Amino acid sequence: MRTIRRAPAFLLGMLMTGATFAQGSAPGWLEEQLYHSGKINTVIAVVTVIIAGIGLWLFRMDRRIARMEARTKK
Amino acid sequence: MKHWWWKILAVVLVLAASITALKVPLKPALVHVSPDRIAPGPVTLEITGYNTAFKDGERVFLMNDGQYVCPSGVEVVNDHFLRARFEVPAGLKANLTDVYAGRVHMNGALFTEGLGKGIVAPQGCGPGPKFIDLFDFAFPNRNILYETIRNLNFHVPMWFTMMVLFGISVVASIRALGSNDLRHDMAADLSARTGLVFCTLGLITGSIWARATWGAWWTNDVKLNGAAVSALIYLAYLVLRGSVPEPGKRARLAAIYNVFAFVLLILFIWILPRLNAVDSLHPGNGGNPAFSNYDLDSTLRVVFYPAVLGWIGIGVWMYTLRLRLARLQHHLDDANHP
Repeated sequence: MRTIRRAPAFLLGMLMTGATFAQGSAPGWLEEQLYHSGKINTVIAVVTVIIAGIGLWLFRMDRRIARMEARTKK
Repeated sequence: MKHWWWKILAVVLVLAASITALKVPLKPALVHVSPDRIAPGPVTLEITGYNTAFKDGERVFLMNDGQYVCPSGVEVVNDHFLRARFEVPAGLKANLTDVYAGRVHMNGALFTEGLGKGIVAPQGCGPGPKFIDLFDFAFPNRNILYETIRNLNFHVPMWFTMMVLFGISVVASIRALGSNDLRHDMAADLSARTGLVFCTLGLITGSIWARATWGAWWTNDVKLNGAAVSALIYLAYLVLRGSVPEPGKRARLAAIYNVFAFVLLILFIWILPRLNAVDSLHPGNGGNPAFSNYDLDSTLRVVFYPAVLGWIGIGVWMYTLRLRLARLQHHLDDANHP
């Protein structure tokens, strides 16, 4: 249940950060990072997000199993 | 061990595809020509390439409506930068002039002034013999995209995996309706949850990619909003399912909603973006078939399809793990409360 409550807030947060970032027009630090050397850093960021996402999933799976282990010990 | 083959296959496919997706070089291309306009008279063009290997005696010329303009001097500074001096003749025909340097060129690189009916005395330079590379396994080097074209092999498989998992979910829901078996309801719930993991990854990776190419974290692209709405619909599925305490009723209600959710998903992601009436930044949308030869060349395909298969395997594996854990939990509950 906790997941369900948190997920919409997370999505909404994502959308809102998107909206605020999109308003900047002058190339800033992030622009420099992304456009640097053929924008290869974008690919690194994308791969990082995917690995981090799978890692987060593993971490939560670990907690689920730990909770079950605790119950079986009782 | 016999049930392990597809898991090993999935990991091997994802690894092979990811390593290839990161290691294959981009095709050489011209990325910048300065200044961006020419007028009759002398001009020095600064030409920047990407993954090029400019060397002395590089064949540099301009092309305007099939007519060539030859340089009066070429100075190669390094592998990817050269300066070329031109005496631009009066009377070039087309508005835009292409720049050629060695094996690469940039179409419409120069806005052209002083137009006429073509050069009177055509100049004698032009393309050399076509260079054929026997082993030319390289990704297309597209303007604006550049290296981010590799993201195709990371971002898009997330959506394919999500589709497969939501597909498993709707099949389980239909079986739950047909049989009143609560195990199908559990399967539908868990595959939808795993699908949402990939949906979230797809949204975030897409957002990063959009920032680097379209210039904004979020655009009003029809496919983006369709994907976001679909994500909310599936979140609502979880909320709805969680809000009914009685298991049999919960299973039926959730299953009926899930069938509608899947229909809407197909509508928002597969049908709406393809309509002629809407325009989309995504390739293959706005009335075009997806993955035409123009969008996806054979080099990308060789990496893309294994990546999709591998990620689907990983997604289904993650779903079966959650299902097995939930079944164990179920048995544990039964044992505690007989």
